[in-house]
Amino acid sequence: MINILFKQIRAVNPAENLDKIVNLWIKEGNIIHCSDKPVDVENDTQIIDGSDLIAAPGFCDMHVHLREPGYEYKENIVSGTAAAVNGGFTAVVCMPNTEPPIDNVPVVEFIRNQAAHLPVSVYIAGALTQKREGKHISCMYELSDSGVLMFTDDGNCVTDSDVMRRIFEYSSGRDLLISQHCEEHSLTNSFAMNEGIHSAKLGLKGYPSVAEEIILSRDIMLSGYFNNRRYHASHISTGHSVDLIRNAKAQGLRVSCEVTPHHFCLTEDYLSGYDTNYKMNPPLRTKKDVDALLTGLSDGTIDCIATDHAPHALHEKNIEFEKASCGIIGLETSFGLSMTFLVHKGILSIHQLIEKMSCNPRKILGLRDISMKEGSCAEITIFAPDKEWTVDKTKFKSRSDNTPFDGWHLKGKPEYVINGNYFIKSEL
Amino acid sequence: MNEKIKLSKPYLLSADDLTIDDINNIFVKTHFFMDNHKTGVKYDDLKSTIVSLAFFEDSTRTKLSFELAAKRLSADCFSFQAKTSSLSKGESVLDTLKTIEAMGVGIFIIRHNCSGVPVFLQGNTNGMIINAGDGQHEHPTQALLDAFTLHKHFGDLKGKKVCIIGDILHSRVARSNMTLLNTLGVDVSICSPGTLLPYDMNAWNVGIIDTVDEAVEWADVLLVLRLQRERMESGLLPSIREFSNYYSITIEHLRRKPELMLMHPGPVNYGIELDYSISKLPNVLIETQVTHGVFVRMALLSLLSGYAN
Repeated sequence: MINILFKQIRAVNPAENLDKIVNLWIKEGNIIHCSDKPVDVENDTQIIDGSDLIAAPGFCDMHVHLREPGYEYKENIVSGTAAAVNGGFTAVVCMPNTEPPIDNVPVVEFIRNQAAHLPVSVYIAGALTQKREGKHISCMYELSDSGVLMFTDDGNCVTDSDVMRRIFEYSSGRDLLISQHCEEHSLTNSFAMNEGIHSAKLGLKGYPSVAEEIILSRDIMLSGYFNNRRYHASHISTGHSVDLIRNAKAQGLRVSCEVTPHHFCLTEDYLSGYDTNYKMNPPLRTKKDVDALLTGLSDGTIDCIATDHAPHALHEKNIEFEKASCGIIGLETSFGLSMTFLVHKGILSIHQLIEKMSCNPRKILGLRDISMKEGSCAEITIFAPDKEWTVDKTKFKSRSDNTPFDGWHLKGKPEYVINGNYFIKSEL
Repeated sequence: MNEKIKLSKPYLLSADDLTIDDINNIFVKTHFFMDNHKTGVKYDDLKSTIVSLAFFEDSTRTKLSFELAAKRLSADCFSFQAKTSSLSKGESVLDTLKTIEAMGVGIFIIRHNCSGVPVFLQGNTNGMIINAGDGQHEHPTQALLDAFTLHKHFGDLKGKKVCIIGDILHSRVARSNMTLLNTLGVDVSICSPGTLLPYDMNAWNVGIIDTVDEAVEWADVLLVLRLQRERMESGLLPSIREFSNYYSITIEHLRRKPELMLMHPGPVNYGIELDYSISKLPNVLIETQVTHGVFVRMALLSLLSGYAN
C-alpha cells in the first residue's frame, strides 16, 4: 500500500484551476492531503522533496500501438504499458490494427483481461470497419457496450465516402467518437516519404500533403452534414490540415485533432541518410508544416499530443528504406520532447502542455476529468520540468527500440507515476 | 614519391560526393588509361584488393564495365547476382553484405532496385561502397562517363547546354547527371511530360523546357533517357504512340541542327525515344559512352584505391 508525501510540490491541474505549491500526501491510492498547510504524516510515510517537481493529472496518450494480440514480437500489453509508465503516462488508448483486429467483442475482452492489473489504464479503440478493410462498418454498438471509447481503422483510412457516410449515420444514435487516419491511399501508393524537394532528390516515392488534407476536408464536411458528429483526426502533419481544423472549430463543429512529437520536432530534412527511423506514416513534412503545427498547438487548434507509439522489430527497420515499416516508438520520449520543443521554447505554457497531454485527451474520449482534490483517487504524473537528461534507449521498457531520438539531450523529465495503488519511478 | 591523388570522399554513393576537383582528377586519369591502353596490359592499383560486384538487380553493361575495370587494375574480383544468392532464401541485404565482408572484401560495387541502399550499407560497413545504380536515386558512374564523353568532345563544359529528355521521375541517370553537370557548371534543362517529372525540381538547378523542338533549338547536347513500357501500364502516359510523337528524337531534329550531339545511357528503345535511322550518325555518342565507361571506372577505382585496405 502506498503512503507518500511530496513536500512543497507544485500541483497543476488546469481542469480544476489548480496551480500552487502544496504538500501532497497520497495513501492507499487516495489523495489524503493537497494543500499548502503542513500535514502530520505517519511514521512509515515516504517523504520526497517536491521542490523541483510538478504534480499533474495523469498523462493520457490517445494513440498507441500495443501490438497485442498478434504482433507480440514487437510489443505486448505488459511491455507497452511499462513503457507508458516509464514515460509518465497513466492511461493509453490502444489502436485496433492487431491480428486479429479489434473489430469484435472477444478481442476487446482479451485486451481488457491482459490489461486488468497494470499500472496503466488501457482504453481501447475499435475498428470502424470489419477487418479494417474500409468496406463494411463494424459492430459499433456491441463494441461500444464492451467498453470501446473510440473508433478508427488506424493504419488504414476509410477512403470510400459512402462507407464514411454510413459510419457517421450509424454512430449518430450513440454519438460515438469517430477517428480517422487521414490518407487518400490512391495518392500514396508505395510511398516512402513526404513528396517534395527531398523525395525528388532521394528518388523515393512521395506522399503528398494533399493526400491527408483531401480526406480531412471530406470528413469535416461529412461530420458537419450529419448533424455535427464527434470527429477526431489522428496525427495531423501538414500546415493546411491545421487550417482545416481551425476553420471547422470556428464553425462550431465538434472536431478535434492530435499531433505527434516527431511531427513537431523533426522535418523531412532528416531523411537524407535513408535512416528508416525517420520513416513515418504520415511522413515527416517541411519546416513550414512544422511551424504551422506549432502555431496550431499554441492557439489551441491542436487539442492533444499523442505519440502514435509504433514498435517494430529490427528486421523490419534495419533494411532497405523503401521496404522498411513506418513509425517509431514514442511513449518514453513524448514528454521530454514536448517540454524541450514546446514549453522551453515558449510555444506552450506548462498549463497548456498538461491540457494537451492529460485533460484534452480525456475530454475527447468522454472520460471524467482527473481531480487532485483531497479524497480523490490518485491518478497523477510527477515530472521535473527543468531536469536535463539524455535519451538512452537501453533504458526503455518497450520491447522495440526504433527511435531516432537516442542520444538527444532533453530538458524536462517524467519522474513518477501514481495510479491508484501503483507508485512507480521512471527509470529513464 | 608524390602523394597519391585521392578523391575527397572514401566512397561514391551519389554525384554529390564529387567535387569539381575530383571530377577533373578522374578525367585526367581516364585520359591516361585511354591513351596508354593496350590489350593485356594491367596496372596494380588494386593488387591484393578484393572487389565484390554485388548486383541485387540485373545489369549487363554496368556490371561488365566495372568487372573489366577492376580486373585491369589487378583486383581479385568476384560478382554475384541476387537470383543465385541467399537473398532468395530471405537473407537481408545487410546480412548479405556482412557475409561478403567476412570474406575479406574491401570494395563493394552495389546495384540495387531500392533507392538509398548504398547509403544504408556504407553506414554499416568498414569497406568502401561504390554505387552502381540504386533504385530511382543515383547512378553516379554513368554520369561520370557521360560527362567525360562531353568533356572529350567539347573540352571545357562550363556554359554548355545539355537537355535531358524523357522519364526524369524514375531515372537515376537523370538525377546523377543533373547533379554532376551542375557541379561542372553546365547549363542543364529537362524536357518531359508532367507525369514523368518529380513534383519539386528545385533540388537541382535546372530549367524546364516544354517541347522537344524548343529543346533542340536550345541545347548543345540532348541526353535521351530510356522509356520503360511499365510507365504506360501504370497510367502515367496515355500511349507509346503519343509519347513517341511528342518526345522522341528524329532524323529531322538532327538535320535541322547538325552540330547537336546526342547521348543515351542505353539500352535504347529504338522507335520509342529515338529513331533507328539516327543511330549511325556521327552526332550519336552512344557507343562512345560505353567505351569510355570502362576507362572512367578504372580511373575512379584507381583514385579510390588509396582508401582501400
